[in-house]
Amino acid sequence: MTTPGAASTGAVAIEGGDLPLGGGLLAVVRPALDLLEPGGVLAVLSLSPSVAQDLPAWCRLERHHYLGSEPLPDGRTRHLVERGRHSVPQGAREESISLPRRSGRLLSADLLAAVPMPGHADASTGFAPRGARVEPGGPVYPFSLLDRDRVAPPEVAQLYDQAVASQWDATRDIPWEKVKPLPPALEQALGQIMTFLAENELSALYVPSRFLPRIHPAYVEVAMFLASQLADEARHIDVFLKRARAGGGGLGISSVTTSQSLLSLLQLEDFTEAAFLLSVLGEGTFLDLLRYIERYAPDEPTAELTRRARLDEARHVHFGLAHTKHALSHDPTLYGRLEAAVRRRAATLSNAGGVPAPIQDSLTILAAGGNDPRSVARGHQAFRDLLETMHDQRVKRLLTGGFTPEQAQAISDLHTPNFM
Amino acid sequence: MSDHSIFLGAVAYDPKVVTIWEGIRDYFRDAGVPLDFALFSNYERQVETLLRGHIDVAWNTPLAHVQVKLRTSGRSLSLGMRDTDCGFRSKIVVRKDAGLRRLADLRNVTLAVGSRDSVQARILPLYHLKKEGLDLVRQRLLKFDTDLGKHGDTGTSELDVLAALHDGRAQAGAVGDLVWATEQSAGRVDASKVEVLWTTPPFNHCMFDALPGLAPEKAAAFQRALFAMRWDHPAHRRLLELEGLREWVQPLEEGYQDLYAALESDLP
Repeated sequence: MTTPGAASTGAVAIEGGDLPLGGGLLAVVRPALDLLEPGGVLAVLSLSPSVAQDLPAWCRLERHHYLGSEPLPDGRTRHLVERGRHSVPQGAREESISLPRRSGRLLSADLLAAVPMPGHADASTGFAPRGARVEPGGPVYPFSLLDRDRVAPPEVAQLYDQAVASQWDATRDIPWEKVKPLPPALEQALGQIMTFLAENELSALYVPSRFLPRIHPAYVEVAMFLASQLADEARHIDVFLKRARAGGGGLGISSVTTSQSLLSLLQLEDFTEAAFLLSVLGEGTFLDLLRYIERYAPDEPTAELTRRARLDEARHVHFGLAHTKHALSHDPTLYGRLEAAVRRRAATLSNAGGVPAPIQDSLTILAAGGNDPRSVARGHQAFRDLLETMHDQRVKRLLTGGFTPEQAQAISDLHTPNFM
Repeated sequence: MSDHSIFLGAVAYDPKVVTIWEGIRDYFRDAGVPLDFALFSNYERQVETLLRGHIDVAWNTPLAHVQVKLRTSGRSLSLGMRDTDCGFRSKIVVRKDAGLRRLADLRNVTLAVGSRDSVQARILPLYHLKKEGLDLVRQRLLKFDTDLGKHGDTGTSELDVLAALHDGRAQAGAVGDLVWATEQSAGRVDASKVEVLWTTPPFNHCMFDALPGLAPEKAAAFQRALFAMRWDHPAHRRLLELEGLREWVQPLEEGYQDLYAALESDLP
């Protein structure tokens, strides 16, 4: 017997006992032939007389060559089969993979380290998992993200592990029983803010989902991370809409500025541009917005749900930054392209004034704790501070991403007044 | 229609035939060999149409191939065949509980056979059994004359034979080796109930036939494009799989002698 794992042109012998070909013998013949390269010979030792009738026909069907048989002194017959050249797959079987257990846990990051991603992926391997042997001649799949450096930052599996461990339940994990009626102005402001958040999160659900089917399965950890991101966004939509209605206030207005801004995200055709605009700039800016809402939240449920959403968003921002930084490190021309993408988007939104008025007013009322004129000035200042914080943080993130201070400043200034 | 294009006939034994020939037509076109096709409902009509010169090439069963050879006094051109068409055999499958040890034992039982125009499930197995001494006049036969005109292409009558063996309507039956191996391989044969008693000598199967007057450049272009199809090419592979081959091979004219003899012989 040759060593399993390495395909061989040598000879392999298997014991077939008294199994008829149609009664189980093929289950040992086929895997044994898989160990051979075309031209290798398999000896089937059999006690079943019917094998002499059936094996040649099966070999013809499968384009192996039945070389003949000879009786052995012990009563068995040795049938010889030469593996045909059209019978595949070829290449070595994956083996000897050692995966560490960490306190009994098996991390996706360790699996990725054991079975690394290829630099370039072949679209004709289809949905075959990375590491599987692939029979040649399969159909070419319409995957277009075929280069690791454009798709998969090294930390993607760790981020996926974190994402899975951090899932929460918008139905059970928020202390909904603590939602009490608020003064009408505050209730309406909160409804408006939640409407705005849900609308933006809908775009964050739809935009990455467009790229998921373009990712080659060799980079499945990216697809898995995006799947977790989509689950996060679905939960955020759910929790924001629940909060808008839990106090009886209902939803507010969807503004044209917001709608235009989100459409310009949905129309992006480049994965890295989308990750940059949505996750680094958009969701990055949302971190500050969510922190603001959490800080001025009128009750514990609102504070808790914005806190949880912010932790999820921070992970998305982390992935977006890692993706952008990784892609930039392999393609310096990307700086210019990303800046151009921001400029193009800004141009299409040039008719938009500032932050949509309904959301601006609601964030002011929220920080003021109501519409008492004595408090509104404080709320207004808080809102102005928020815009400044958003800008400063964006610039910081861009510097972390590898942009120059001038580029970072320019890009942040051009960012949509819609935040996302 | 351009005179340069090759006009091919095939029999529509299954809806997939449209997919196969539209795919091959497109592949030929891309290979610089214009080709169009017509589908026939039966091989008799296709053979007549070829002999009248209305089509250039006919994709024929062995029975149709031999008929074309006979009608052209052996002058017709054979252009190519599938790898699977070489070394075809038929299997005499029997029920294990019928106690059949040799071919002579078949005289006491019911023998299931396929359509009367199926070479692999009727004509050649009966021809060989007769040659081996079986009295076919007295033999109890269970005949599945389904899909006549398709020359056994659909395989329906062979599956009928296997079903009759499994449920005991027949104790023996004749099927082609590819149907037998495919059904075994897919786990649809009960090895505790049925087994092969005997295998016929080999014979050859389908063939691309043309009249002797086919322009040599057309014949050459047809063969050039045909033999350039590759199993490991995704677009080709899809078509080859549908047509049941892994590569087209040069025509082998030997392998039809038994069929000529069988057509001379009086078979039930």
